[in-house]
Amino acid sequence: MSSKQEIFNALKSVAIEPQPMPCFDIAPRIDDLVGQFEANLTTVAGTLHRDGGLANLQATIDKHIAQGMQVISMVDGIKGNREVTATAHELRDIDYAVIPGDVGVAENGAIWVNNKNLGHRVTPFICENLLLVIEAKSIVANMHQAANLITLAPGEFGTYIAGPSKTADIEQALVVGAHGACSLNVYLT
Amino acid sequence: MSTSTSNVHAHKAEIFCRDESRVDWHSKALWALREKRDRAAGSIPEWEQLRQIGSEMKLHTLSHLADYLEKFEQNCIKNNISVHWAKDGAEHNRIVHEILAKHQVKKIVKSKSMLTEECHMNPYLEERGIEVIDTDLGERIIQLAKMPPSHIVVPAIHMKKEEVGDLFHEKLGTDAGASDPLYLTRAARRHLREQFLSADAAMTGVNMAIADKGAVVVCTNEGNADMGANLPKLQLHSMGIDKVVPDLDSAAVLLRTLARNATGQPITTYSSFYRGPQDGGEMHVIIVDNGRTDMLKDKILAESLKCIRCGGCLNTCPVYRRSGGYSYNYTIPGPIGIAVGAQHDDTNSIAWACTLCGSCSYVCPTKVPLDKIIHHHRRLKAEAGKLPYGKSNYMPLVGKFMASETALNCSMAIARTALRMLPGSLLKPFSGAWGKYRELPVAPNSSFEAWFKKNRG
Repeated sequence: MSSKQEIFNALKSVAIEPQPMPCFDIAPRIDDLVGQFEANLTTVAGTLHRDGGLANLQATIDKHIAQGMQVISMVDGIKGNREVTATAHELRDIDYAVIPGDVGVAENGAIWVNNKNLGHRVTPFICENLLLVIEAKSIVANMHQAANLITLAPGEFGTYIAGPSKTADIEQALVVGAHGACSLNVYLT
Repeated sequence: MSTSTSNVHAHKAEIFCRDESRVDWHSKALWALREKRDRAAGSIPEWEQLRQIGSEMKLHTLSHLADYLEKFEQNCIKNNISVHWAKDGAEHNRIVHEILAKHQVKKIVKSKSMLTEECHMNPYLEERGIEVIDTDLGERIIQLAKMPPSHIVVPAIHMKKEEVGDLFHEKLGTDAGASDPLYLTRAARRHLREQFLSADAAMTGVNMAIADKGAVVVCTNEGNADMGANLPKLQLHSMGIDKVVPDLDSAAVLLRTLARNATGQPITTYSSFYRGPQDGGEMHVIIVDNGRTDMLKDKILAESLKCIRCGGCLNTCPVYRRSGGYSYNYTIPGPIGIAVGAQHDDTNSIAWACTLCGSCSYVCPTKVPLDKIIHHHRRLKAEAGKLPYGKSNYMPLVGKFMASETALNCSMAIARTALRMLPGSLLKPFSGAWGKYRELPVAPNSSFEAWFKKNRG
């Protein structure tokens, strides 16, 4: 008998009475979504740029490039100085990655990104600094609403990103910049 | 009955308690997490509703587990994910090794997984010539220090920054005497970047497995799971059968409570959904039983499988905070460690490492009735004739004694008089282990029964 079969046989004697699936009827907080989003993004150590949109972002990037930084952009209309590499490992020297976010979540400052917009899946993690672009109208109140809007087709990868990578594993002291990006700037369009 | 005295909880706790200032520091560090958790929970008005929904959704899933596991496997296969089944830790390790050996893997980077700790996977792979690199900072620290985790979310919580500094100086070549957390974290970042970039395979645990999508969700703050899984072409994910949830909506409920209850963050930095391997890559999911179906056969123990491993119950536990993660004789410490580990505890002592105060059940994001489960473990130990040393001798006598009204009233009257008349030094020895760290109580003037008759009767 296969191990799967053994496990399934054992599962015939589960002692819990069959329970119905509960109803997820949680009222969303819909007042000032951008304000909520900004407050929570700040608590997770990210920064929101409300004004100036893509032009502001391009100006910032041009400054980075002038300083010799390596910038890859996956956002239409934003120009970096690096293209998608043949292998994921070649992204190791990327200083700034610009990536479009699909859905923003007001209650926690998280932004959903899907691998169609990443080139390599590792892009938002391996870059030294991450820049995400999100439309104000794509910000929803909570994770329940986000769950209905995110795209995750068969075979795909997607991730909610809430701030730069961080750790508090040494004496509970918060350090921003663990293994993923060391900073997160979000540009609203 | 096998008893290895050195692993008895009280004995291990006593060793931890020798350094009083460290115990205070440990207790306060964990309590700070509890306070952050309270603030995060209090900031969303629907918190209690989320706990209730989380609990009901997990119970629903556990009571239809075969259906959801079957669905999960079918959907994984459609997404080009290979699914493996392991009935115990040994089979899990064998499967993992076979996959790695087939790809001639020399080095694997791993993010946190309590399941692989439970299966003792690292030593198994290392014995077979595979280098295993733990990549969560806390896990890397304890791996370099050759210690097991002492907490399920913050595994190196027991170590001081100076100790980490000395360790990194020896192993990673950081400056002697340097103990600044930022400096040490940056050194670990550089060291582990090299490991990510040179690994042949990656392994992660699984926070949730989504049945109707055939996807696994992995949550980290450091980004180590995603740095690992998205660089080498081979990714493995190990999960217990209890990790499956029906759909994205269900996962959303748990994502709302997991980090808030663990560290007080509104969500982990990265909550990543893998619904298939990267281009040209291979993805494997290993689904492990290892005693979980046995727990499901007991109505009370079964509820411990609602756990989402946030660590909230450890942070609030008065016993864990003052006895440390190494006192439990099981991989997972604290209340949840007792709930899922007491049956494996050959010292038969950890079920008593609990005051039954219920604080753990109160903070649990999926309403695991931890104190009820721990109490149930005591009953199971008694029924199996495995009460720890002493309890099996005196407890039946105490029971008989307390059942007799005359004997109880008489002796209580004597005790009250003795407490009033005799010096404490004479009475203290009679209080045994109880009196070791406690003062004797002040004797009331009369019994409660007499007081009640006089005032309310």
